[in-house]
Amino acid sequence: MKIVVLVKYVPEPTATWKFAPDLTVDRAGVEGRLSELDEYAVEQAAQLAEKGVASEVVFLTVGPAKATEGLRKALAIGGNTAVHVVDDAIHGSCALGTSLVLAKALEKTGYDLILTGMASTDAELSIVPQMVADRLGINQGTFAGELSVDGSSVTIRRDTDVATERVTIALPAIVSVTDQTGEARYPAFKAIMGAKKKPITTMSLADLGLSADQVGWAAASTKVVDVAPTPARTAGTIITDDGTGGSQVADFLADRGFI
Amino acid sequence: MMAVRTILGLLLTVGCLGVAGRRLFFLYKVGRTGQPTGPEHHFDLGSAVKAELVEVAAQKKLLKWTGPGIAHFAVFWGFMILLFTVLEAFGGLVNPQFQIPIFGNYPWFGFIEDLFAMLCVAAIAAFVVIRIKEAPAGLGRRSRFFGSHLGPAWFVLFMIFNVVWTLLAYRGASINAQRVNELAGTPDAPLKFLQGAFASQWFASAFHGLGEHTNEILETVLLLLSLAVLLGFTIFVTYSKHLHIFLSIGNVAYARRPRALGALLPVYSDGKKVDFEDPGDDDLMGVGKIEDFTWKGLLDFGTCTECGRCQSQCPAWNTDKPLSPKVLIMALRDHALTKAPYLLAAESSTANGEAAASADGATANGIPATAVAEAERPLVGPMGDEEAHVGEHGITGEGVIPFDMLWSCTTCGACVEQCPVDIEHVDHIVDMRRYQVLMESAFPEEAGIMLRNLEHAGDPWGLGASMRLEWAEPLDFEVRVFGAEGEDKIPDDVDYLYWVGCAGALDDTAKRTARAVATLLHEAGVEFMVLGEGESCTGDPARRMGHEFLFQMLAMQNVETLNEAGAKRIVVTCAHCYNTLANEYPQVGGHYEVVHHTTLLARLVAEKKLTPIQRVDASVTYHDPCYLGRHNRIFAPPREVLGAVPGAVLTEMPRTKERSFCCGAGGARMWMDENLGTRINQNRADEAIATKASLITAACPFCITMLGDGVAQRQQEGGATGVEVTDVAEVLLRSIRPDLAETGAAPGADPA
Repeated sequence: MKIVVLVKYVPEPTATWKFAPDLTVDRAGVEGRLSELDEYAVEQAAQLAEKGVASEVVFLTVGPAKATEGLRKALAIGGNTAVHVVDDAIHGSCALGTSLVLAKALEKTGYDLILTGMASTDAELSIVPQMVADRLGINQGTFAGELSVDGSSVTIRRDTDVATERVTIALPAIVSVTDQTGEARYPAFKAIMGAKKKPITTMSLADLGLSADQVGWAAASTKVVDVAPTPARTAGTIITDDGTGGSQVADFLADRGFI
Repeated sequence: MMAVRTILGLLLTVGCLGVAGRRLFFLYKVGRTGQPTGPEHHFDLGSAVKAELVEVAAQKKLLKWTGPGIAHFAVFWGFMILLFTVLEAFGGLVNPQFQIPIFGNYPWFGFIEDLFAMLCVAAIAAFVVIRIKEAPAGLGRRSRFFGSHLGPAWFVLFMIFNVVWTLLAYRGASINAQRVNELAGTPDAPLKFLQGAFASQWFASAFHGLGEHTNEILETVLLLLSLAVLLGFTIFVTYSKHLHIFLSIGNVAYARRPRALGALLPVYSDGKKVDFEDPGDDDLMGVGKIEDFTWKGLLDFGTCTECGRCQSQCPAWNTDKPLSPKVLIMALRDHALTKAPYLLAAESSTANGEAAASADGATANGIPATAVAEAERPLVGPMGDEEAHVGEHGITGEGVIPFDMLWSCTTCGACVEQCPVDIEHVDHIVDMRRYQVLMESAFPEEAGIMLRNLEHAGDPWGLGASMRLEWAEPLDFEVRVFGAEGEDKIPDDVDYLYWVGCAGALDDTAKRTARAVATLLHEAGVEFMVLGEGESCTGDPARRMGHEFLFQMLAMQNVETLNEAGAKRIVVTCAHCYNTLANEYPQVGGHYEVVHHTTLLARLVAEKKLTPIQRVDASVTYHDPCYLGRHNRIFAPPREVLGAVPGAVLTEMPRTKERSFCCGAGGARMWMDENLGTRINQNRADEAIATKASLITAACPFCITMLGDGVAQRQQEGGATGVEVTDVAEVLLRSIRPDLAETGAAPGADPA
């Protein structure tokens, strides 16, 4: 069974992000990393390979040149090979554009099961897995907290506010996983070194049979119109108890409609 | 009769020295299976001679413990002088009137010989008392001898006693025998033989009544007996923990100088620094097998005398954790010796161009099954079933060193500080951690959060660089940030680059210290600048956990930033940052003049640039952070700062300065759960509280956090009322700018 894991190289969440004139994140000005949420998917794939369920694990990313760092990180955790779709024309793509590139690349790589994180830690849309499923015409399972695979299907546990569902999905399928599946292993140094020797295939839009006007900033269905920094946190109200502390707290909460 | 005694004596000597020599040659070959050392252990004549004089001849480290130190001094010098007596005895095998040239038969020489022999006996009596008083049978884990080989230790004392009394008795009989010759008018016989040798004379008097011929026979019998005892003891020594009498000389000569503290060594493979950007395929990454230790490491293990000074000081051991530095060294030694036949067979087959002996093939090559079984044990392994596998020294489990033993170390260096024979425990522990982390990715799980945070955010809390200037916002003056005005070099008017550190920038309590130091520098007119977002963790916790790769990445990045900025003088508030910047960054090309804030503040006070005026009427105690004190010998400046504050009265804790007890945060233990035994920080906080000080001070943010937690715990229980834990700098600030001092109880203190 071949598993393809969709991973995203995202700007470091704790870093200060800067924005380019077109209001996309200035990726050169900020450290990047393999999206933490995708690490869970990488770990699940590595475990399925260790269990002998998966015979081949491929990591697929769409991103700038530096995104290979994210692929190397994934390859240090497990997997065999990686595919990096890199093309300047992809810059500024919306989810529709990204899912199109991914779907075309997946057709090239082939797959039985596609795994990915529940969302990216930058855009946080959580929509790409569904779009990829639609484009490929395959089954989808989202927000899996646990997953197991047999020859022809994947069974996932979905925790919702009202119920825990157990869903069996026929393969081929795409499944997004949550942090409930378990933290990714901390790769040993020898695994990091070993990852440098694993092959990464680079693909361009032309390789995928796509033209520049189908994707990218110009073709995006959504555009960022304004960016402003989050206002600084303001100091909270400190109430010194002079005997009326309790009622002051109650007033404070009542003013804001909490009680 | 003379011929018989000569022949018997020589046969005995050749036989015994042959057995001892064979054993020493075997030990030498085992030592040769170790790896080459890095330059820190290369021989340097000047420092080796100095160390031999100070540590061996003058017994300086032993004398840190007055009682046992004096006893050891006596037995050491007793044996040194006894060598002359032994030489005379060997001479006596061929000539009963043998004299050492120059020393001859002068009364002062006889007196000195016997005096030192008696000092030996007195020392043995002292050791007997010590061993009875500190017997593990009574004290349990509190005994420094807990886990040591007790039988052999008693046997050594017994044998030293036997060596001394048999030699003296022989000399007594010899005096009587010579007197016989004297009376018979033998013209060559020296008069008044062994004059001044008072103890020998006692035996002479005692034996005198036995008659002339009996004394002649007795002389021969006692001579042979004394040599047999001595030579037998020599053989025993080569098979026992008492090997230190030979090995310590070499171990001291090749030890890291000035001491195996401060910087950790780089990762060496085959004696060369490993390049983590492009490592060789066969590079050793730390120690995963006993033969991965350097030969100096193996020499350390063989030199251990099991005295337990290390164990008595160890914060892990004193809080009932499974680590004793002594037991760790003993376990490695015993493992090396048991595995030795396997190692030597592997080495000789590789030397012959054959494949190294496999575990299966080895048995066929005549290697003992025990050695093969030992070779299959992992060096570091999980704790075993307590009941099922209590092995030697109480170690349980399949691994030579249990996982929990390895990870209990805070790298505080108390063991290294104490060891009289310069064993480098911390380096060995970190080397084993390096293999576990780099090759096996095996470490306490919770520490992985810290490692990930360092990788991604550059600080152990994962807060990120963008938060690094918040600490300075409440200050009433502007803190200059490097690069804020477009400068790409630190301007000339800046006296110091202020390295705030992750704690100082991100931890609420440490931010107070960061502000106090900044305010004091500002008050003193010292121009300083910070790196702001350009700063990241120095890599100390990663390195001490064994993650050398991550340390190298962080260190190289910081060194690049500092070198590009042209940093020359750096002031730091964290003892760990201080140690790394000052001692470890030179390994990666960063050479700076690094000063700890307590040193700088003490200097500013001495230069009258800061004048403490306001009284701070408080009893104060000071906790020496391991990485400031033991590792870097900065003991006086924090005390000078406190001493300059009017009204502050310093009361020292019992364990202070070189013997300071760790707060529990070192060695990346800050980032691991402490669920074995009792809590180290509580142990130390209780000691501080017991001084009745209202201000418990330290000079490292991690110590302050740990002690603060310990005090808060007692306050929750209703004790330690009014006790506050704070940095030395904050006490000074209260005396200089009381309006700015951020007083407040210890974190989590009793709200009442």
